[in-house]
Amino acid sequence: MAQKRRIPRLLQLALIIIGVCFAFILLFDVVLHQIIPKSLLTMYMLFVTAGTVMVFTFTEEGAQELVGPIKALVEDPSKKMVRNVVFVIVPLLAGYYTYTSMMPSFEAPMELRTIHPAPPGKFKAYGKSYNLSKLENPYRKFEKEDPAKFKGLVKEGGDVYIQNCQYCHGDKLDGNGPYASGLNPTPLNFQDVGTIAQLQESFLFWRISTGGPGLPAEAAPWISAMPVWQDYLTEDEIWKVILFLYNYTGRAPRSWANE
Amino acid sequence: MNNRRLGKIMSPVNKLALLTFCTALFMAGSAAAKPGTAAKGKEIYDKRCTWCHGAEGAGDGAAKDRLNPPPRDFTSGNYKIRSSDFADPTPNDEDIFRMIRDGMPNTAMPSWSDLLAEQDMWDLVAYVKTFAKYDKPPAKQVEYGTQVKSSAESIEKGKKLFEEGDRCVECHGKTGKGSASKRLKGDAGERTWPRNLTKPWIFRGSNDPKDIYTRISTGIAGTEMPSFADPKSKKKLTDEERWHVANYVASLAKGKDKKVNAENTVVKADKVEGELPGTPEDAAWEKTAPTTFYLVPQIIGGERFFTPSDDTITVRAMYNDKTVAMLLEWDDRTKSIPGDDLAEKLADAPIAEDGVAVQLPVVIPKEMQKPYFGMGDAANPVNIWHWKSGTKDAPETINLINSKGFKEIEKRDAAGASLKAKSSYSDGTWKVLITRPLTTSSADKDIQFSEGRFIPVAFAAWDGSNSEKGSKHTMTTWYWLLLKPATGSKPLITALIVAGLFLGGLLWWARSAKPAA
Repeated sequence: MAQKRRIPRLLQLALIIIGVCFAFILLFDVVLHQIIPKSLLTMYMLFVTAGTVMVFTFTEEGAQELVGPIKALVEDPSKKMVRNVVFVIVPLLAGYYTYTSMMPSFEAPMELRTIHPAPPGKFKAYGKSYNLSKLENPYRKFEKEDPAKFKGLVKEGGDVYIQNCQYCHGDKLDGNGPYASGLNPTPLNFQDVGTIAQLQESFLFWRISTGGPGLPAEAAPWISAMPVWQDYLTEDEIWKVILFLYNYTGRAPRSWANE
Repeated sequence: MNNRRLGKIMSPVNKLALLTFCTALFMAGSAAAKPGTAAKGKEIYDKRCTWCHGAEGAGDGAAKDRLNPPPRDFTSGNYKIRSSDFADPTPNDEDIFRMIRDGMPNTAMPSWSDLLAEQDMWDLVAYVKTFAKYDKPPAKQVEYGTQVKSSAESIEKGKKLFEEGDRCVECHGKTGKGSASKRLKGDAGERTWPRNLTKPWIFRGSNDPKDIYTRISTGIAGTEMPSFADPKSKKKLTDEERWHVANYVASLAKGKDKKVNAENTVVKADKVEGELPGTPEDAAWEKTAPTTFYLVPQIIGGERFFTPSDDTITVRAMYNDKTVAMLLEWDDRTKSIPGDDLAEKLADAPIAEDGVAVQLPVVIPKEMQKPYFGMGDAANPVNIWHWKSGTKDAPETINLINSKGFKEIEKRDAAGASLKAKSSYSDGTWKVLITRPLTTSSADKDIQFSEGRFIPVAFAAWDGSNSEKGSKHTMTTWYWLLLKPATGSKPLITALIVAGLFLGGLLWWARSAKPAA
């Protein structure tokens, strides 16, 4: 009966497990464009292996068929050659695995940080206290009231940007300025829908005026290269730069009115 | 005042008339290049390009004084990267198009291809040409002859031509690193520097041999890089010879050590038995793995700095049971020794000493929090080892500084902590060896090194001939230093034991199974 089957059950088991493993990698890498973390893959495969073995050994007959070839290794004298090979390879693999897992890896430690931390209710800049929930861009109103004046304000903001911000955030506001590659964390990409389009102007004012050192601890203020702009720019200049950021990227700030 | 204002209103109108005319001419005259519409190009230019290149294309946008190299002045008619004949300054449309599409590496000019459609870029080409009134395509192109494929023989020939009669060596130096031997000027009177040919990733127009050939053939307009195809030049080269030189220049890029690998953020110090290398030139350094980082100008505190010259720093480290040694290596085209005649002549006054610094936390952090990367903070002080190149009358120095941010600086006695440095400079490269005992007597003020720990480390460099002094310098953010522990024989022994256990188990299984057979 077993003779009729083309693929021995043991090989079937191995093929199924390898196939599923390969499918996982393919699915994540090619379809989802996201490399599957090794630990996650290991966990998935543990369940897959356990499940497959359970199915394969569900009946006494099936179990016998599965372990038959393994038992034959030591019981069948004609398999002596295969046995010798297996007896050399298995201990070598075990030794190799132990060796590589015991060698210390010198990979840099992972550093997790929050990119857009929750803003504080109040913050200090320019020697005064600002209430973030009430803070508004004093120039925003001119967008409707006086478009010509607004255009001028945007231009002034652009000049401030190109003289101060482009080095990191780039001419195209894509976070890829001439010095961006020298920084970690990398400068924010304002063209991205996930950055300024998700934020209120008051949040930007807080981030710009107090810079990297003004971040809360969860955002790792010690590595952010964002300067403390209240040292270099006036309040007015920051509000104008904010106008420019939204204008150039064609995005709109979030506001309480839209929530 | 009135006149100026009038001029400002008039000129765009004039320009528009002119460019409509040019566009008409262009469309009638050229069939090969993709036709762009200058009027449409102007709209894009006014939104995207004026910031640097200026409303009138004169390279005088708001960013002008804070960019190095300065933005191109389109009214000058000089295009650095072009493929037309040396005698005809007119660029090909494709030349301008390529610069817009790909940008220029190591400058503020980005690649626009992800933000602008192809037609937009052709429209810009049409508009940008109007500034220098280029209404006809160039009459002659670079002659390429038959390309000579790169080979050991061709490179050898190229090297000879490169050096012969100081042809290229005069400015680029014998090693091609462009270490300065004379002052060079651009068309706007700005200081220009010969390209460091060992760093191909900073070539503005790519390091493909064909591109290098093109540069050698037409020269670089608006700079002192001449054409070597010009029959009037004493240094003229034939088509074939220029291919040899191009192949040689492309081959200079072999120093891959200095290319930044963003993944590599750890300086790994090897453990050595016995003595550490005593000089920067010691051959033992070649056996250690180099790690290279980008240097960026300092714009976060005090007086800011926007026009750096040093761009990368390469670090190697070793340690033994007593001392840690770090070798810092970076290309600096000038050896800035105040008081030295040649150095003074080459420097942008006032000259200052060259320098390099290593920053380490006083206490190695146990958790994620580190000192602020800009000289630490109130709660987390840093050690800074600051080497200076010395002056004509004073030798090089190593200084020890403790700081809690850039406003709270304490100068300390370097000798007291046995901090030492030794340097060498040759052909445009500084090498500085800094050593310090692993531990010192003042554990509250000095970092105490211990192996196997990830230690935050940052670097800074000063080019004293480039007005860099004090807060004006280049720097890195935090990276890591790891004193690699000697792993010993433990993994190997364990592996052998595990393999033995497995073998034993298998044998036992075989033995116990036999009676059943």
